[in-house]
Amino acid sequence: MIAKTKYIPDGKKELKQLPILHYLDANYLYYPVTSARCPDGETCVRGGQFVKIGEVIGTRKGAFFEQPMHATVSGEVVGYEKRIDQSGKVVDCLIVKNDKKYNLHASIVTRTEAEIEALTKEDYIKIIKEAGLVGLGGSAFPTYIKLETKDPINVVIANGVECEPYLIADYSVMMNYPNEVIEGLIYAMKASGAPKGIIAIKKKYTEIAERLNFSLKQYSNHDIKVVMVGNYYPQGWELEMIKNAVGIDIPQGELLSKYGVLNFNVSTLQSIFNAVKKRLPVLERLFTISGNGVHNSSFRARIGTQVSDLIELAGGYKDIEIPKVLILGGPMMGVNVIRDDIVMTHTSTSLIVLNEEVVVEEPCIHCASCVYSCPVFIQPTQIMNAYKVKDKDALKMLQVNKCIECGLCSFVCPSKIHLTEYMRLGKRLVR
Amino acid sequence: MQAIKQTSPYVRKLVSTKRMMIDVLIALLPVVAFSIYRFGWNAIIRLLVSLLIMIGLEALIIGMTHKPKKTDKTFKEKLQSKYSTYTINNITAPAVSAVIFAMLMPPKLPVYAVAVGAIFAIVVVKMMFGGLGGNIFNVAAAGRRFVSLALTGMFVGAYADMNLIAGATPLTALKGGMGFPSVLNSYPIIDLITGNIPGTMGEINAIAILIGLIYLLVRRTADYRIVLSTAITFLSLITLIGLKLYPTQWVEFVLYNLFSGGLLFGLTFMVTDPVTAPVTRPGRWLYGLLIGSLIVLIRTFGAYAEGVAAGLLFANIFVPLIDHPQWSTNIIKPKFVISYVVILVLMGLVVYFGVGGAI
Repeated sequence: MIAKTKYIPDGKKELKQLPILHYLDANYLYYPVTSARCPDGETCVRGGQFVKIGEVIGTRKGAFFEQPMHATVSGEVVGYEKRIDQSGKVVDCLIVKNDKKYNLHASIVTRTEAEIEALTKEDYIKIIKEAGLVGLGGSAFPTYIKLETKDPINVVIANGVECEPYLIADYSVMMNYPNEVIEGLIYAMKASGAPKGIIAIKKKYTEIAERLNFSLKQYSNHDIKVVMVGNYYPQGWELEMIKNAVGIDIPQGELLSKYGVLNFNVSTLQSIFNAVKKRLPVLERLFTISGNGVHNSSFRARIGTQVSDLIELAGGYKDIEIPKVLILGGPMMGVNVIRDDIVMTHTSTSLIVLNEEVVVEEPCIHCASCVYSCPVFIQPTQIMNAYKVKDKDALKMLQVNKCIECGLCSFVCPSKIHLTEYMRLGKRLVR
Repeated sequence: MQAIKQTSPYVRKLVSTKRMMIDVLIALLPVVAFSIYRFGWNAIIRLLVSLLIMIGLEALIIGMTHKPKKTDKTFKEKLQSKYSTYTINNITAPAVSAVIFAMLMPPKLPVYAVAVGAIFAIVVVKMMFGGLGGNIFNVAAAGRRFVSLALTGMFVGAYADMNLIAGATPLTALKGGMGFPSVLNSYPIIDLITGNIPGTMGEINAIAILIGLIYLLVRRTADYRIVLSTAITFLSLITLIGLKLYPTQWVEFVLYNLFSGGLLFGLTFMVTDPVTAPVTRPGRWLYGLLIGSLIVLIRTFGAYAEGVAAGLLFANIFVPLIDHPQWSTNIIKPKFVISYVVILVLMGLVVYFGVGGAI
């Protein structure tokens, strides 16, 4: 009510108990040629050509970086089709017909300890760049750019908070591959020259803390600590997490590296481990299908798998007659899609299917729940009123650009006003 | 499968405006029950008149101000599209205002006076400003102020003769000649708490009101900041006056002021009205400070014995100023805390010199 809301029913407990199916039977795999960050791209394979796991099949081109595409199965290139990617847009996809032999490309050779020991900062950056690693927490920001910084780095933080409801991808990575996360963190520390590493997890995840601490005993010559931070939302937002984990208050809009901090998602660190140790790009991700409109299931599937296949495998939709809301990502910040021929990309972690609930907006009664709950201390209700009269000056004074679109204002509103949408409109107006 | 287009977030908290309104009605129950117990049919009739007028007129005005669609043919269709925005909140919200307004009326005030006040409150103060969420003045307080200004005779008559309609309330007695501490003989403090005094229907029983206050604060339907800020300001200023004027009986003076008049009722049900309050934490502290000082100033130096409704309405005027985008912020900075204390001290000095204090 008229109070700060921090906790959202997260529904993770049930999802964690789901068995994880390893899905390797996809007949066709789809590789988007472009992505939200890379509006341009080209492929370097011909139709009918056979590719193997880890082979470069093309390049996506962003504003200031290029990113290679890798095949995640072995098989034959058969053509192009349009599919929906993680950002909800229709994109051209390269199709590879899976021969289900899963042959590795000749370049995929595990590095020995001695080889890794000899790697320099430049080598790490080159490896990570060539593996096409991006922020797997959802930002899809190229990882090597973060590591390229000239600023001295004191601490590398592994963000394992994952505060959005219904998401368990990072949780399962930490639970099942703690050593890979830790080694990935060590590589990131070496690449950035940071003496300290921190793994930030939720306070209530004591089982994860135990597991990580147990694994850390093997790496006692590195200064890595597990730090427990709050259970609340949006604790996973990097500035909020850094504030609680290391006590550095970084203003919005500033580069983390200026304050000697680097922040990676735990899944990203696992992918750094795979890239450095095994020379592998990101091949697989945990993909959860959840929500009340579909049979819930967890999969470990190759990048490029079509999500509609997974839905079918899980048991399909429930209550077909009720309209559904399809969400890629979490229910607070995820992307809405209106078709289910979605392709798994690096940042895909979850599809949520909710039965439609009609919400009727009532007038605002100035209860200020949104103002109290806002993690960046702006005033959503006042911004809404300023937007309605198209008052640009007021919108600037109310600092609408600080909004991180976490969705808490819409979530808490007792009048069910869609404030987050007004924030987006307001931002667009002052741009 | 049909997919719907929406934007994030896709989940909502299980709260509603309806719940907040019903919470206030529940909190009002002890007060209403006591007034019916104490005044019987007098209370019931005034409550019903007030409820009927406010809910009925709100519905009528919504019908008048909404145009039917051009495609509507029959009367029924026109009515349906006119009332397409009519929800449960168009019943609960005026019901809350109506009950609070009725509780602000003396039990023997003629029914037509109650009706006039209710009509003014709902038509002019609420619906003309845009209905729920649009009003800038507290509906019940403005109605009450209107009745006492338009029909002053029914209220001020009480000064001359105790047995007129309103009856001499403890505060009018304090103001009108009896003076402190001799009022304590007519109105012992225990009677003020249990409601054995003349006064408006809702304000007299402190226990019933406090039950409602605790309920509202526990349910977080009321913001404790406004309540606390108003109470701190009021108590510190009244204590100062008590210490200056009646150094031996200042405790009784403070208690007498606290439990007499509409202070507790206003603190519980009127200042906590979110619609007319600022929307930020510092803003709400400041708003409480403003209300608290205005109540003390009006009671001590003004023409009225009462001050809650007038003080609240006056503070309502400052809300757009407090909420101005130029300076409104939700962060409580040290600067704000200092200025809050400075204003409180300044008000203390004003009151201290006002009652004849010297350095």
